[in-house]
Amino acid sequence: MSRRRLLGGSAAAVGTGLLSSCGTGSGDDAPLSFWNFYSPAPQQDPNLVAQSDWFATAIRRWNSANPRQIEPVYMTGDQMNQRMPVAFASGDGPDIFLISPGDYLRYANGGVLQDLAPHMEQEAIDDYFPQALATRRNGDGIYGLPMEQEPLALFYDPDLLESAGISQGDLPADWEQLLDLGARLSTGNQTGLVLDVDPGYYQNFTFYPWLWQTGGDVIDPGSQAPIFDADGPRAALDLYGRAIASGATPRTRPANGDIVGAFSSQFAAFWQTGVWDVQNLLLNAPDKSFGVMPLPPPPGGEKVTALGGWAWCVNARGRDPEAAARFVVSVLGSMDEQSIAHNAAWNSPTIKGNMPARASVDAALDAENAFDDERYRVFREDILPTGRAEPRFPPVVYKAVSDALQAVQLAGADPAEEAERAQASLEGYLETYRGGSLI
Amino acid sequence: MSTQATTTAPRPATERSEPTRPQPLGRRQRETRAALLFLAPDALGLIVFVALPMLLSVVLGFFWIDGFGNVDFIGVDNYVRMAQDPQFWNSARVTLIYLVVLVPLIFVTGLGLALLVQQKFPTVGWIRSALFMPYVVSIVVVSMVWQFMLTDRTGVVAAALAWIRLDGISFLGDPRFALGTVIVVTIWLQMGYYMIIFLAGLQDIPGELYEAARIDGARPWARFRRITLPLLAPTSFFVLLTSMVAVVTGGLDMIFVLTNGGPANSTSLLIFYIYQQAFLFGDLGYAAAIGSVLVAVLLIISAAMFVVTRGGRFTHDD
Repeated sequence: MSRRRLLGGSAAAVGTGLLSSCGTGSGDDAPLSFWNFYSPAPQQDPNLVAQSDWFATAIRRWNSANPRQIEPVYMTGDQMNQRMPVAFASGDGPDIFLISPGDYLRYANGGVLQDLAPHMEQEAIDDYFPQALATRRNGDGIYGLPMEQEPLALFYDPDLLESAGISQGDLPADWEQLLDLGARLSTGNQTGLVLDVDPGYYQNFTFYPWLWQTGGDVIDPGSQAPIFDADGPRAALDLYGRAIASGATPRTRPANGDIVGAFSSQFAAFWQTGVWDVQNLLLNAPDKSFGVMPLPPPPGGEKVTALGGWAWCVNARGRDPEAAARFVVSVLGSMDEQSIAHNAAWNSPTIKGNMPARASVDAALDAENAFDDERYRVFREDILPTGRAEPRFPPVVYKAVSDALQAVQLAGADPAEEAERAQASLEGYLETYRGGSLI
Repeated sequence: MSTQATTTAPRPATERSEPTRPQPLGRRQRETRAALLFLAPDALGLIVFVALPMLLSVVLGFFWIDGFGNVDFIGVDNYVRMAQDPQFWNSARVTLIYLVVLVPLIFVTGLGLALLVQQKFPTVGWIRSALFMPYVVSIVVVSMVWQFMLTDRTGVVAAALAWIRLDGISFLGDPRFALGTVIVVTIWLQMGYYMIIFLAGLQDIPGELYEAARIDGARPWARFRRITLPLLAPTSFFVLLTSMVAVVTGGLDMIFVLTNGGPANSTSLLIFYIYQQAFLFGDLGYAAAIGSVLVAVLLIISAAMFVVTRGGRFTHDD
């Protein structure tokens, strides 16, 4: 090790160590920490308690059969965002943790993700839907196991549409109809079309389907080069700009982004969100009628949606990565009946209400008629097959797209100029990028 | 090298002097020692928890750190990148506007409210408490409440404006208004705190001075200009200095909840950009470099303020 590197390492270790405040204990036989935002849940909401219990059950089963114990550590999503970097930087990261696709590449490039493939049967690997696993793979390695797939769709309020003289047969078939309807339905305190407006990974996630529907993309999968300065991205950016300019979409989301409150109060007619809100509405507004439809494409375009979802990862520099990997695989990635049943329970409408990431889990849920509800049926049969995995772009790529999107959507900037600016930023970054495949 | 025998003869035992007794400290020395002892715990805390991390932050600014233990010395690359980073300059511009507008407004509202609640009238105690109340509430809670109130179309503010036919303004969703909205909310949040500080300063001004001025026929504005303002100078200095530091280094919680740096980066203060780089993007070295520049600028401004105001005394005599 060079003196320069040693000095750097020492300074960084001392610095980040000082900043760290979250120890996870030490010692060879200490329990493995599992950072998550589900369990043990401090909430009283029965549904959140059920999700917490699901995690607790998986951990209890493991702990009763294995000497290496697992200990869940609860924190909110925002807390995890802030504590994880500090914990990893000080060499005190969690042994097991949850990450979204948007975060995957940063952790993978940092070399902290344990390959789970050696612990999995080939049958179990093949059991995963390819798109569900795609963004967690590098070659034959599997660096995270998704527990769900979360497709995006357009939720609508049929009562509100009906009161405006719009039947369910007149649902928008393309972008232009969507914008027209959105503008028509935006009167008083009522909003026609809710698109996400807050800058962040989530907004980009909701933007990608519209982008993909044009045939455009951020990065070319083959060459790994940016292709954002093109007709497709310009059209998708323009859609977001026109949605605001036409008055169809508000600059801030109704009810602070709470779809239950907004739909219950008839504040919103159409709302782009994911499958998780089916269960949210069914549980919290059981008397409220709502419908779900695929995102309409541009005229002549194809329907495409984005698939989100969280994955369990193992810290390769943790206390016992092998045991942690066995635990993760036993819960999520085994052909064992108990694993399939536990996965099915998670994705069933009684606990999380997401689309499963594995064929055997999907079959188990189908056998239980778990997705008989019309909304789930639309998700499973019409929307999921059009899904593409949420990209795993690193922060600079995310930021370039986000800046362009925000500028066009909320500052009235020219889509062509912003696409060009983003492209230049991406090209500059990728000249020196060294790491895993971007897409 | 040469060796020399010592030429100093040993002192005879009989010439040994009496052990010297320590001279009692003078009053000034005793006061100095007491002052040092009182200051020591604070100084130690500041060194360990402020100065040392600041120093380490400067060091980290010369490294590439990915947050996973991978570190490389890159010299001044982070600083070069900063100079070429449009988002850094945008955040610097937003921070400057925020500072230049907010600090004077905080000063004026704090002083104005202090002058108001300095008067003796029924319920003044309640009014003082009410004005101070926002300061003791969690910033996250305050920000969420304001976010609800300022939501387009359905928020209370939008409803009130629609009632007087001023609808269509998006306080948090329009880049033209978002920073102004954050400034207004910040003033509302902090004015009570600075009001209390000014109130303490006002109550230190001897009433006889006002009485004498009144007898001499000085009008209220003249009394304010000739007595209140000059005698409030040390308090004003304290308020200006602390509010400046608070404005530049604070505000993260509110921005995080209220706007998340948007719309279109219009509220992306430098402190928020540092947070993004460190915690969302995992670029700890770059975040440390920006932080170091921010601290350096603050130190320069603070030092200039100290020099210009002679340490806040505003006097020309020692």
